[in-house]
Amino acid sequence: MVIPTALYYMFAPMIMGVIGLLADKMKTPKLRDGVAILLSLWGVVSMWMLYNMGINAGEILVINIGGNPPLGACLEIDMMSLYFAATAVITSFLVTVYSFSYMDHDTRLTEYYALLSAITVGMTGVAFAGDLFTLFIFWEMMGIASYSLVSFRKDRPGPIEAGFKYMIMGSVGSVILLFGMAFIYGMAGSLNFAVLANTIRGAALTPWTIIIFSTLIVGFGVKSAIVPMHTWLPDAHPEAPSPISALLSGIVIETGLYAMIRVLFILYEPALFQLPMAILAFATMTLGNLLALRQDDLKRMLAYSSIAQMGYMLIGLSTGLAYGLMGTFLHVFNHAFMKGTAFLAVGSIDHMTGTRDINELRGVGRKMPFTTFSILISFLGLAGVPGTSGFISKFVLFSSAIGVGYVLLAVFGILNSTLSVAYYARVIMALMGDAPENAVEAKEAPPLMITVTLLMALVILVFGIFPESVTSYATLASNALIEGLSEYIGAIL
Amino acid sequence: MDPTIWLGTAFALFSIGIYCISKSNMIRILLGIEMILNAANFTFIYFAAQRAAAGYVDPLGQSFVFMSIVTGGCVVAVGLALIVNAYKHFETTDARELRRLKW
Repeated sequence: MVIPTALYYMFAPMIMGVIGLLADKMKTPKLRDGVAILLSLWGVVSMWMLYNMGINAGEILVINIGGNPPLGACLEIDMMSLYFAATAVITSFLVTVYSFSYMDHDTRLTEYYALLSAITVGMTGVAFAGDLFTLFIFWEMMGIASYSLVSFRKDRPGPIEAGFKYMIMGSVGSVILLFGMAFIYGMAGSLNFAVLANTIRGAALTPWTIIIFSTLIVGFGVKSAIVPMHTWLPDAHPEAPSPISALLSGIVIETGLYAMIRVLFILYEPALFQLPMAILAFATMTLGNLLALRQDDLKRMLAYSSIAQMGYMLIGLSTGLAYGLMGTFLHVFNHAFMKGTAFLAVGSIDHMTGTRDINELRGVGRKMPFTTFSILISFLGLAGVPGTSGFISKFVLFSSAIGVGYVLLAVFGILNSTLSVAYYARVIMALMGDAPENAVEAKEAPPLMITVTLLMALVILVFGIFPESVTSYATLASNALIEGLSEYIGAIL
Repeated sequence: MDPTIWLGTAFALFSIGIYCISKSNMIRILLGIEMILNAANFTFIYFAAQRAAAGYVDPLGQSFVFMSIVTGGCVVAVGLALIVNAYKHFETTDARELRRLKW
């Protein structure tokens, strides 16, 4: 058992907590903020170190903790894990830099940064998990940290209500997932992914496998806001502080999708879950877009838009092919940047004007040109306009759906993208329109916040015009899942 | 060991938990979640005992149950903190009164 140096990043929340307490005692808040940024940068560096440890050559890294596979826990890192973990740490780094400026009027920042890095470490842990045991522990770590952060501003009633709702739904989801794990353990006698793939995958369908399948869909579906289980999201995401909204929408719900993809592919043949996933994809994107149309709150509208984007990602899973999953992974990365930019830029507007109501923000865009420009770019990306990275991933997703014969699903996807332009255009028109007499006071956000949002908007444009690099990583990740499944199993057994 | 009794007990705990969640008192909802968690833990223990070889139960199931009790404790801590704050704002522990956010 040799733990690579890169994995010591998993201890970042503890280090953050200790240093934060010391900085509070010494009354040097900037030290704490600086350490938080350095720790999140450490995450990015760790992912790069892991990538260079042979994963770039297609190897799989197995780290056993406390005994060999059928017993103890293990981390198993392949290209797909690393792809998700890297997206998570990069988003988290940008969010932490943004928080440096955004949260400067708030107190209790030690807790804030420690929980923020706990979410990030939880996500990387879910991505690296090699058995259901490890996955569940990191899953709960991510969940508990996000419940606390949603209700971070506890002096207002809204965040408390949203946090309570999120906590109840999220923990019921995890508990049902735990039930599913108990049945899996009863069937296979182990929780290790490799052992499970050898015993359950390809076995005949019994009522127990169907029960396990439904518990997995409900358990992972609650965190990833798939439609019948989505009701917490439109409350929780707007009420959280804006950087946390960006992190939750950008990558936390996608971590649920990652876990679902990983476990479903380990346990079942794709033919079993293709049709249910196609139905869920249709319901998720249609309902998300329709409900987003009637929102006046900017962040609430973006939250519904996240549900719709989750529907597009499910299209790739419903194809069950490497090409479709490549589209899903590409959309996860692009969505992290697009929705991250949107939430952070809306957060800048909220920070400077104190309101998120679209009708009150008329004409504010002219006073905050850089922020509005990044909102425009991210909305173009979310709608899938050519020239932005959102177009590339949506193109791959819809064409993969046509490839497996789900033509209707692709048609509805394109119609949904068109529908979504309606509410994006409404925001842009309101922001850029003439200011009325009683317009709210506004001036441009602090330079650090503008830098982060503009940088993320630039990434959307660059990967829209030159998509090769991120596409090649997404292809490697989807190949690691589909074609590398036997190697993934063989690396342990 | 008769599976009907053990899995039946787990199912009964699960049903009581779901019943508690459908109620409006916040603390009762939280206890309902804990009850479902314990039903799942109970199932784990049963399956671990089923796999007993050479007089020992399977340690994997046991250790998972320990860890899930720990995470369950964390969820309860966060949940109770939220309930205390909700009581400060709304002056009730009735979950139906929390209806500021809708649509």
